[in-house]
Amino acid sequence: MLAALLAAACVLLVALPFLKEPSPASDSLHELDEAERRRLERLEARDRALAALKELEFDHRTGTISDEDYRTLVGPLRREVAAALQALEADAGSPADGTAGEGRPSGGRTS
Amino acid sequence: MSELGRAALLVTLGLSVYALVAGVAAARLGRRRLALSAQNALLAAFVSTAVASAVLLAALLRHDFSFTYVARTTSEELPTAYTISAFWGGQEGSLLLWLLVLTGFGAAAVRLNRSWARDLVVWVVPVFAAVTVFFAFLVVAVASPFATQPAPPDGAGMTPSLQNPYMLAHPPLLYLGYVGLTVPFAFALGALLSGRTDERWLVATRRWTLVAWTALGVGQLLGAHWAYVEVGWGGYYAWDPVENAALMPWLAATAFLHSVMIQEKRGMLRIWNVLLVFLAFSLSLFGTFLTRSGVVNSIHAFTQSSIGPWFLAFIAVTVAVSVAVLLRRLPLLRSRARLESPLSREAAFLYNNLLLLALCLAILWGVVYPLLSEAVRGEAVVLGRSYYDFFLRAFGLPLLLLMGIGPLIAWRRASLASLATTFRWPTAFALATGAVLLALGAGSSLPGLVAYTFSAFVAATIVLEFARGTAARKALGATSWPGAFFSLIARNRRRYGGYVVHAAIVLLAVGIAGSSAFDSVGEATLRPGETLEVGRYALTYRSLDERQTANATELRALLSVRRGGRDLGTLEAGKNAYTVEQQVSNEVGIRSDRLTGEDLFVIAEQIDPDGTVSFRVFVKPLVNLIWLAGLVFVLGSLIALWPDAREQRRLAERATSLGLTTSR
Amino acid sequence: MARKASPARLVIALSVAAVLAVFLLYTSIAGGGNASVSPSELRGRSDPVQLAGLVVGPVTGDAHGDGLRFRLRDIGEKSGVTVPVRYTGSVPDLFKVGRHIVVDGRLRNGVFVAEPGSMITKCPSKYSPAQKAGTG
Repeated sequence: MLAALLAAACVLLVALPFLKEPSPASDSLHELDEAERRRLERLEARDRALAALKELEFDHRTGTISDEDYRTLVGPLRREVAAALQALEADAGSPADGTAGEGRPSGGRTS
Repeated sequence: MSELGRAALLVTLGLSVYALVAGVAAARLGRRRLALSAQNALLAAFVSTAVASAVLLAALLRHDFSFTYVARTTSEELPTAYTISAFWGGQEGSLLLWLLVLTGFGAAAVRLNRSWARDLVVWVVPVFAAVTVFFAFLVVAVASPFATQPAPPDGAGMTPSLQNPYMLAHPPLLYLGYVGLTVPFAFALGALLSGRTDERWLVATRRWTLVAWTALGVGQLLGAHWAYVEVGWGGYYAWDPVENAALMPWLAATAFLHSVMIQEKRGMLRIWNVLLVFLAFSLSLFGTFLTRSGVVNSIHAFTQSSIGPWFLAFIAVTVAVSVAVLLRRLPLLRSRARLESPLSREAAFLYNNLLLLALCLAILWGVVYPLLSEAVRGEAVVLGRSYYDFFLRAFGLPLLLLMGIGPLIAWRRASLASLATTFRWPTAFALATGAVLLALGAGSSLPGLVAYTFSAFVAATIVLEFARGTAARKALGATSWPGAFFSLIARNRRRYGGYVVHAAIVLLAVGIAGSSAFDSVGEATLRPGETLEVGRYALTYRSLDERQTANATELRALLSVRRGGRDLGTLEAGKNAYTVEQQVSNEVGIRSDRLTGEDLFVIAEQIDPDGTVSFRVFVKPLVNLIWLAGLVFVLGSLIALWPDAREQRRLAERATSLGLTTSR
Repeated sequence: MARKASPARLVIALSVAAVLAVFLLYTSIAGGGNASVSPSELRGRSDPVQLAGLVVGPVTGDAHGDGLRFRLRDIGEKSGVTVPVRYTGSVPDLFKVGRHIVVDGRLRNGVFVAEPGSMITKCPSKYSPAQKAGTG
């Protein structure tokens, strides 16, 4: 009967992970450990700071932000980006990854 | 066939219970295969719900009146399209549709995010499962679409005013919206349960929220349009509890969409955002509870049904659990960033949130007041239109103004001098527009004039942003002005998509102001040959016509229309008398002016046997801007939603560098 | 270190207070809404109320002329107190004997005189919306 077929198919689908790997090397869910969690937060902080800088440059170029306001705001933002990159480097104990190439603070690609 | 349907729903219930239990176990014990199994259970739940839905759809198309539901909502000669729409036309079927969309979204959201947010998804699964358990339980035990009976010769048919293209699309879109809000809710609660403090739940759910919010908005506009042309009392929104049931979660979701940007840019407002998404989800449940339980007098009301108490209980549990988890994880959510100035974009967004929420809560208060007053004083006191209009103006007009200020003010801190420079031209334009309109007579309604002036301000700021942005891109080396324009939008989709959505809201505001603050109305009982004048229009009643169609007798009064001496053609208004359903419906005559967006709206209120007709005529300026706003709204959302390859790459790189995408 | 009590916090608090003030302003000006009563509860009340009940025939008169006349009975009752109603204005399409309607007005000389155009009909089943008269 169709209903029984449906039920069987669903049970199969649910049991699939166990059927495919009856005895796996490791069954533990990869959770982010303390170090990885910190790294994720620092990555997010870096991206946030970079995006803010980019937006400021864009707003300045379009004239939304005046020269004065730009001068006031750009300093702290650049420092924030530098700090974020530094934190990442310290974290990894190795040069910052290549993905940061997009974010040289001075006159980098904006918009 | 109905046994298959019932069995399939039982399977769904079983699967979702398994997903809940297994999901929680997998998350707490950190078991990978069990987590995968729970995810698969969500997917399987979608499959079995789809099977049940297919059974109901087939029964509808077959006109199988042994299904009680089919007999209640359709009849033999109902056109096919409307037979299909009967799926969601009644209580049980609409719950099944909700369940179908819910399981579909759950399976999809989990699948799309499981590789790069594994530790988050493992907690999202049980939350989704819990919501699914509730709705599956409802359709299995409380309101089953698969009840059977001895088949009657014909079904009861569908109310004629529902046999309308707008009613085909309106409920499904609203459900996409309501159910869509479950996704950010589940991810938010899942993120809290997992003890994570990163922003991945926001990134994962951003598009889902936008789609749900857009669907909810468009669904409401369709409903309003249906009310305007079909129900035909001359308006499009009655502040009816069921209309409010969709508006409230939409307002909360709008607040959420904005404050999420602050969390994204500055890492602030994390607690606030979680609370907002809880509120939006709870309101969507509450709204559905209102519609279905008959608890509040409404034009959509049910008779007292058994569904009500279950919904209320579920909402109570949801709120209690959400708040409890939030309180437990509160320390994790505190952010270091501070609001630096009351004159900044963060502050503007906060004011925006405050106003949206105030309006939302004012509406909520208006909806529950009769219930509360009945419980406390033994007498249900109903708050009328004037209550809602007052708060719409009190909070909506400042919101409109803020829409022009927010995008242009600097983050963190804006100096007064820079504000003066930025807003010089838009302010001048707005004041000039206001002065001109005042001279043209718009002073007859102060809120209307204010709405127009603010709209002019916002429109000017949007145009300025596009102009300046395009100029900047051209200066950067774009080949042509159109090229600069398109590449500007392409590279800043969310920002400029947002501006287009704001433009839609401006159109909406102008349309609402024009048609409600500056409309005219006239009434007369006319004999053939007599004329009624309203505004600058003169309508002459010419003749009465009676026609027979397949299922109705149609009476139409023919009028010829003149405006300022010019002949504008004819217009028909009348009534339809439906034979099977034994009902009469109003068929209004609308003449839309393409140039000005103005509508001439004619209702034939009473048709006497001797051919005398009582007419009620409205002139509604600018009302068609409201419908145009809907199209612009969708366009803006599409732009904002459009996948950005660069952003996807960056997120993928981030995930890889954490080892999240390798299967371990 | 940021100042503890930043001006921003103060402004936000003031804004919230302003919003609450708007609420208070409204309730003090407009007061509450109209009580919703059933025909059996109407006796002796002369204030403006919203009357909700079932239409009882015979229905006579002309809503666009001298007034449509009918009676209203408590919803859910088979017999009992009925109140005579005189209604002018737009009549919703779904209006007929046995329909659940709601109408604003007040009791005058034993007859409930309705606000023109305030009648709303209600339907017992989902998604069978009633027609709303008049109030645009």
